[in-house]
Amino acid sequence: MNWGHSPEHSLHRRAFLHGSLAGLTTALSFGNIGISAAKPAAQSLRKRGRRVLFVWLAGGSSQFETWDPKPGRETGGPFRTIATAIPGYHVCELMPKLATMMRDITVIRSLNTGISEHEQAADLISTGRPKEAALDYPEIGVVLAKELAAKESPLPDYISFFTTTEGRRRPRAGFLGAKHAPLLLEKSIRPEHVTLADGLTETRHAEREELRALLSDRFAENRAGSEMVNGYNSAFQKVRGLMRADHLFDLNREPAAIRDRYGRTPFGEQALLARRLLEAGVPVVKVAKGFWDSHHDNFESHRELVPDFDQVLSVLLGDLKDRGLLESTLVIVLSEFGRTPVINPDVGRDHFADAWSVAMAGAGLRGGAVYGKTDADGKTVTEGRANASDLAATIYKAAGIDPRGDYQVGLRPVPRAKEDAKVIKEILA
Amino acid sequence: MSMIDPKNARLIASAKTPGILYGIALDEKRRMLYGAGMDGALYSLDLSNPRASAVKKWNLHDNYVSSLILSGDVLISSGYDGTIIWSNVSNGEVIRSVAAHDGWVRKLAASEGGLLLTSVGDDMKLKIWDGKTGNLVSTRTGHDAKVPEGYLSAMYAVAVSPDAQFAATGDRAGFVRVWDLVVFKQIAAFRAADFYTFDSTKRARAIGGIRGLAFSPDGTKLAISGIGAVTNVDGFVGPCRMELWDWRAGKRIAFAQDKHQAILNHVAFTPDGKWLIAVGGGDGGGAIVFWTGNETPPHVAKPKGHLQAFALGANSRLYAVGHGGFQVWQLD
Repeated sequence: MNWGHSPEHSLHRRAFLHGSLAGLTTALSFGNIGISAAKPAAQSLRKRGRRVLFVWLAGGSSQFETWDPKPGRETGGPFRTIATAIPGYHVCELMPKLATMMRDITVIRSLNTGISEHEQAADLISTGRPKEAALDYPEIGVVLAKELAAKESPLPDYISFFTTTEGRRRPRAGFLGAKHAPLLLEKSIRPEHVTLADGLTETRHAEREELRALLSDRFAENRAGSEMVNGYNSAFQKVRGLMRADHLFDLNREPAAIRDRYGRTPFGEQALLARRLLEAGVPVVKVAKGFWDSHHDNFESHRELVPDFDQVLSVLLGDLKDRGLLESTLVIVLSEFGRTPVINPDVGRDHFADAWSVAMAGAGLRGGAVYGKTDADGKTVTEGRANASDLAATIYKAAGIDPRGDYQVGLRPVPRAKEDAKVIKEILA
Repeated sequence: MSMIDPKNARLIASAKTPGILYGIALDEKRRMLYGAGMDGALYSLDLSNPRASAVKKWNLHDNYVSSLILSGDVLISSGYDGTIIWSNVSNGEVIRSVAAHDGWVRKLAASEGGLLLTSVGDDMKLKIWDGKTGNLVSTRTGHDAKVPEGYLSAMYAVAVSPDAQFAATGDRAGFVRVWDLVVFKQIAAFRAADFYTFDSTKRARAIGGIRGLAFSPDGTKLAISGIGAVTNVDGFVGPCRMELWDWRAGKRIAFAQDKHQAILNHVAFTPDGKWLIAVGGGDGGGAIVFWTGNETPPHVAKPKGHLQAFALGANSRLYAVGHGGFQVWQLD
């Protein structure tokens, strides 16, 4: 089988295989891979446990042009606000569709995360901790993938799409090890080289796998321990699972009307694919929409970006809800930081981490909750100040995972969330 | 305007205002300069006093002011509140307010003397008004609401020919249309595609557009300003650019591009037609660009701050507004 020649792709596959070798179990069933466009029974989906979808707005979206507008203020910019389904809460006029769905959405308007440099801020928000020289912490998504993974699933536990270049950041598995690293799709929304090589039939491929398994078993009996062979077996089975699941990445299998609803933009296609993967049982998915770093022409940028975001996220949330998936899927919209209240000479907004917003929806949350406040100009948090660690702890809690749980790293017990992190209980169901 | 020498261009006065001014109007008779922008208020600068500060007069719009035109004592302003307002420049009394466009009014342009007024807005319409009565004369459509890649477009620029026979409009994707103002029909259309950047592989976003338009004094040519190929859509990171077109033939005659990274928001010919001047700003800082409209490279002067609009006055003066307020430049 040709796995391709892309160094990036080879690296990811090695990490994937390495991870699989290190600890995956072997009891696999492929019967549950695959979905149809028809809506699945909500009850059976609920039983599958929680899923998490990260929507990463790379570059730093503006809270003023989304969740925390300040119309009529010097800092507010030219957009006006619209009423939402939550009495008294207004969002930027660029989000008319999400405005009507606010009863399903939770907003935190009072993040003060301190760091306003892209890389460092992305690290902080993604891990929920300041960097520590002595210990490499895993990304929140990796922790969730480890905890939410279904042992019998042949699918990856975490799939991360990042087809835009801005803010592309490969999730770190940290001390949890490479076996929990996500499958990264950076060049295309469809994995490369997972189709059978020309001339190789499914039957022939299965026969090869049987032979490989037989040789492995003999090797285990005669030379090595079963742990090691189990690892190899599970790695091969994960790869086989991905090959068999290739159709999940084929958006042509979706009805044209659904594809049109999501929109045929890169973000729309990622979102639709995310829904397919979540529905099929992938516990953690990350999609990304880039180019929010609007140092110049902020209002033209957001006039282009936010309507696409509004369209795609509203359709996605509605679709998840219609399919009975939203109550078991935690959706989190994140950026590195927000943008400055001050409008700069080039009609832009710069990086700003002192008072910004994130939005969430779905599992474990109280829909319609709007937590925290900023001052009239959006310069400081006046109520409900929360930091990156608090946000991480809240995400864990909403996903049904104890933020206080420990991982044993060498001799050191390491808490899942930072020791002083406070769960924002007000937004939890 | 007398002779200009771009190499001698120099700032001779400035006056601060809060935020960014987008619209400018020059009253040479009364020696007054007006500007308005982000805060919706009108600011004035007394040009007879070299040490004068900008004075905040009164509120014009409930949102950003995008354009100003002075016609006698009447100030015509457009805003992101969707309105066009006629007001008395002496006392601020509103003569009429018209709900002009569904969405932001992006720009105004008027014929000499202000008898005929044109506006473009986010409803992607060109509207033609009686400049004196405020009556709507005609509404023209033709620019697509979306750029070819499916994102929202915008009509950023409008210009009226010196003989008031034609109007030209330009949009985000680089499309230009020319309209006959007598029979209200589109009579020419072309795309100046080099003002628009969309990189589908690396950076799936659009930036640029036709930001400035101006007819030559004889009405046969159309100048366009904006930004060339942008390498980083997070900002105006691309060369400042102007083009000159034979609009009837839909043929580009010449272009000028400079490594100075800026978008040129406003362009105009000098009255003698010898120079094209454009102002703007971006990653390289502010820019005043002088070009002869031929193969000669442009000359770039570097004002402090990003400029949005300008007016040419007597004695080789250029008056500009933008970030931080007013600037007065001597060009000879």
